[in-house]
Amino acid sequence: MLEEPKHQLLTNLLSGITREELIWINGYIAGIIQQPETENKTVEDPVKPATGNKLTIVYGTETGNSRKLASEFAAKAKKLAYQVKLASLDQYRLSDLSREQNLLVVISTQGDGEPPVAAQKFYDHIHQDGFQLPALKYAVLALGDSSYPLFCKTGEDVDIQLGKSGAQRILPVCKCDVEYEGDAAVWFQQALDLLSKAAVLSTPKQIISQTASTVKPNKILYEGSVLSTVNLLDRKGKERVIQHLELLAEGVAYAPGDSIGIVPENASAAVQRIIDLLQVDPETTVRFREDEGTLRQILTTQVQIQYLHERVVARYAALVGQDIPAVKMDLLQLLQLYPPTHATWQELIDLLPAQSPRIYTIASSPVAHPDEIHLTVEQDRFPLETGIGYGCGSKYLTELSEQSRLSFFVQKNKRFRLPAPDRDCIFIGPGTGIAACRSFISEREATGATGKNWLFTGEENFATDFLYQTEIQAWLSTGTLQKLSLAFPGDDPLNTIWTRMQADAVELFKWIEAGAYILLSGEKNPMSVQVMAALEQVAVTQGHFDTANAASWLEALRAEGRFLKDVY
Amino acid sequence: MSNKSTIELIKEKSRQLRGTLAESLADEHTGAIREDDQALIKFHGMYQQDDRDRREERAAKKLERLYSFMIRLRLPGGLLKPEQWLALYEVAGKNSTGVIKITSRQTLQLHGILKSSIRPTIKAFSEVALDTIATCGDVNRNVLCSANPAESSVHAEVFAYAEEISRLLMPKTRAYYEIWLGQEPLLTEPEEDPLYQQRYLPRKFKVGIAIPPNNDVDVLTNDVGLIAVVEDGQLMGFNITAGGGLSSTHGNPDTYPRLGTVLGFTDTKEKTLQAVYGIALVQRDFGNRSDRKQARLKYTIDRMGVGDFKKELEKRTGFTLLPARPVTFTHRKDIFGWQQQQDGNWLFTAFVENGRITDSKDQLIKTALQELASTGKGQFRFTCHQNVVVSDISTADKPAIEKILEQYGVAQYTASCSAVRKNAMACVAFPTCPLALAEAQRYMPSLLDKIEVLLSKYQLAGEEMIIRMTGCPNGCARSYAAEIGLVGTAYGKYNLHLGGDRLGERLNLIYRENIGEAEILEELEKLFAAFASGKEAHETIGDFAIRTKWV
Repeated sequence: MLEEPKHQLLTNLLSGITREELIWINGYIAGIIQQPETENKTVEDPVKPATGNKLTIVYGTETGNSRKLASEFAAKAKKLAYQVKLASLDQYRLSDLSREQNLLVVISTQGDGEPPVAAQKFYDHIHQDGFQLPALKYAVLALGDSSYPLFCKTGEDVDIQLGKSGAQRILPVCKCDVEYEGDAAVWFQQALDLLSKAAVLSTPKQIISQTASTVKPNKILYEGSVLSTVNLLDRKGKERVIQHLELLAEGVAYAPGDSIGIVPENASAAVQRIIDLLQVDPETTVRFREDEGTLRQILTTQVQIQYLHERVVARYAALVGQDIPAVKMDLLQLLQLYPPTHATWQELIDLLPAQSPRIYTIASSPVAHPDEIHLTVEQDRFPLETGIGYGCGSKYLTELSEQSRLSFFVQKNKRFRLPAPDRDCIFIGPGTGIAACRSFISEREATGATGKNWLFTGEENFATDFLYQTEIQAWLSTGTLQKLSLAFPGDDPLNTIWTRMQADAVELFKWIEAGAYILLSGEKNPMSVQVMAALEQVAVTQGHFDTANAASWLEALRAEGRFLKDVY
Repeated sequence: MSNKSTIELIKEKSRQLRGTLAESLADEHTGAIREDDQALIKFHGMYQQDDRDRREERAAKKLERLYSFMIRLRLPGGLLKPEQWLALYEVAGKNSTGVIKITSRQTLQLHGILKSSIRPTIKAFSEVALDTIATCGDVNRNVLCSANPAESSVHAEVFAYAEEISRLLMPKTRAYYEIWLGQEPLLTEPEEDPLYQQRYLPRKFKVGIAIPPNNDVDVLTNDVGLIAVVEDGQLMGFNITAGGGLSSTHGNPDTYPRLGTVLGFTDTKEKTLQAVYGIALVQRDFGNRSDRKQARLKYTIDRMGVGDFKKELEKRTGFTLLPARPVTFTHRKDIFGWQQQQDGNWLFTAFVENGRITDSKDQLIKTALQELASTGKGQFRFTCHQNVVVSDISTADKPAIEKILEQYGVAQYTASCSAVRKNAMACVAFPTCPLALAEAQRYMPSLLDKIEVLLSKYQLAGEEMIIRMTGCPNGCARSYAAEIGLVGTAYGKYNLHLGGDRLGERLNLIYRENIGEAEILEELEKLFAAFASGKEAHETIGDFAIRTKWV
């Protein structure tokens, strides 16, 4: 069965081996065999070039016609194994233009030859001087109404500007009147024909550069910068913040399911208060472990200053020779209540713990979002006697501005991987648990995975908190998602993930029995506990298990590698 | 006739207005309904809208537009019982923006209802015998009737026609009850509807009933008008008019506002109802179904000619209309304050600027109406000038009602507003109306402040002139039928129309196009100055503008 070189290696290894060594190898190999089959497969997934040609379809719509057409085109192209990205122009990141290969623009013209409101930014962007897109192939479908004098003006403008930028026009602009369906279908077919011919000639493109990860496989620190950051919630007050961050992370290798670790910086205001309190020169040089820097730098980037552990408080008490109760305290509080009269700055710094990294699940896919890492971070808030307290990591991340830089490492999560492309998946990710689901589903969409996808997600209220709503809608319209089940208990307390799973129990059980994988992500308690109870309940009502057997049924799914969790 | 418009195809394949509305409601990923259903939901009394101010920011947040629905009640003649008000008040607070809007067609509408709240809202209405059937869409809309029972001995008798015509022209489909109230769906073919068939009317269809001498319903602006003919205190029948309608489109000369043409007289209830029904039938069969801008009854009549139209109508009804009787209107307005009804009871007409029932610094009108309704006394009647009449108050109850009206500043506010303000109207326009080109109800009050100053300057403060503003040329606030009309053309710009008559029997004409506030005030000042020095006895400003050739 083994090929000759492998057989030779094995023979060499086994010659002169001890019995103990053999038993160890036996166990080791058994361990490998027992691991879910998927793990081996997905290790190579991130670098595997996608089967199809890339195609981005953007639309600018006022009445919905452009959106309708663009969605239909995207669905057709997906069926032909294109890697399709579909976006409304008001959500399309303009900096992506320079990285597109093939772009189709569907855009309408309003009243006096103007672009739809949603396309205004794009329109202005491509009208800038010196705008260059030499690598792009494109075509424009213009919608309009010939009873207006400036018929399809916007589409024509876009076509001209893209042409001026050096991009290659594969088809002349197609101007459609009120009855647009026929012309649009012909145009799209022509565009696809031309693109598929071009694809044969072009060479496959390397997707991710692997240089960094070959040096030291674990905990390599990468430097990234914030491309964009937005609070996904649309609430009047800011009583909750769930931030979507897009980081530029060229050459960083990761797989969907992985997380990144970041070492947060302490808020500059908090550091300033400490400096002010002790009236010390912030430029004083101090050492912390192997690092040396100014006091401000060390306080900002290296040490923990919030909620110091009882152990640290005790060390401080010993240092300053005072009686201090053993409770968690901020450094500022300690310094205010128990002034360090005799201690030096270096002594103070020495007793502080190093800032520990925070781990966040990645929300992007290396294939769908090349050279980027996206995060979905909820700002952690809790009431304190003195006001509102913030989690250090989430506050740092959610308040990063565009362009700011941060360092991070990739935290592999080999137990949380997509199955083979032809397997069906049930993704469960309420709240920020949507991050991993978005990563997985984007990956499956971009790589043309043929298995079905079902997403369970939700937040508090539909109108204000539906995380990634327009992306999820696009997955539905292109057929990436076969089913979507939502829970917004803020609107209706009876509409929870638990009740949704019971409402869909028949189909849910059918999917699982047919071999679907369940990937659960999000809050550990109470969410993941409830979801597991809900799954067991489904087994009871649909599979006629008793309670104990239902638990073993779920355990068996887990052992089989079909029930995967990433909870926090 | 050439190709049918898209809306026609949607109606025909809708299985009597069902379409995919049930599926649209079940689409949990979106707050919108499916595209074709957006046309159909109008027939159920709703419009899908979205907050135009929030579009851009929500797109960046990866959220769809903030969709919500406007829902409009069917209130023939504008009558609402106290217990119905109480239910409406509660549901408005829970599911809508909270503002209850009196429309220029005597009904009430709520804004900002999310898709998931539509069913609970309609259910709450249903529990107090209210519905929203056919208050929008290509069907007969809310039927108007003179609101004031104090003005005529035959008011109650005529008023009953409003309810009757509303029922007569109501779609036969059970779709409303199935979709919104969860009643069992039909298992067989969709219902037969002898009037609407599967295609409904080519366009909206409006019926109004006026009781002279007050033309408060602007009867000639309706597709079908009924003018009560009263002799010696007896209802003799109705003069029937057809072909009124105000909407037009800027830059499209084939569209125009038009007043109804008097067709004749009917002397029995049966014939009156048959005539109304017959007009709807002729419009159904002869109306333009390819161009919606040519689809109203007014264009059908002008295309056929009044003579042929009348012949076709008489073919349908099987009788000949009698010659119209002479009728005289003496005014076209709400009579504010207390009045005694002919049955000895009392009514109070309160001024509600632009029909917005919401508590403000001017008056706590919403709270006042809630308190009034809580007493269980009397009834509410909403007028075509967007005001409210609290009617049918017995002499014994009157002091208690007076006290409430004073406690919340309603009586004082109505008494303190000028005649020009109380006769004025403006449509909704920004921010919710998708057709708006210019502001209307948000802007009109401040413009009136300035007009009041001008009127005082020329000792015209007591003049009863009618000024109306609409944010687009569709004329919801009937600006073409005003003595002074302002029709929005672009943000901050209006066409100024002059020369309409006081009674609603002559449309105004364009005097200046596309002018802003400064010019509007300048032109009005010239007109007021000329009017103050040159008007004849009892001459209205509209008649003056015609006589002295301003237009």
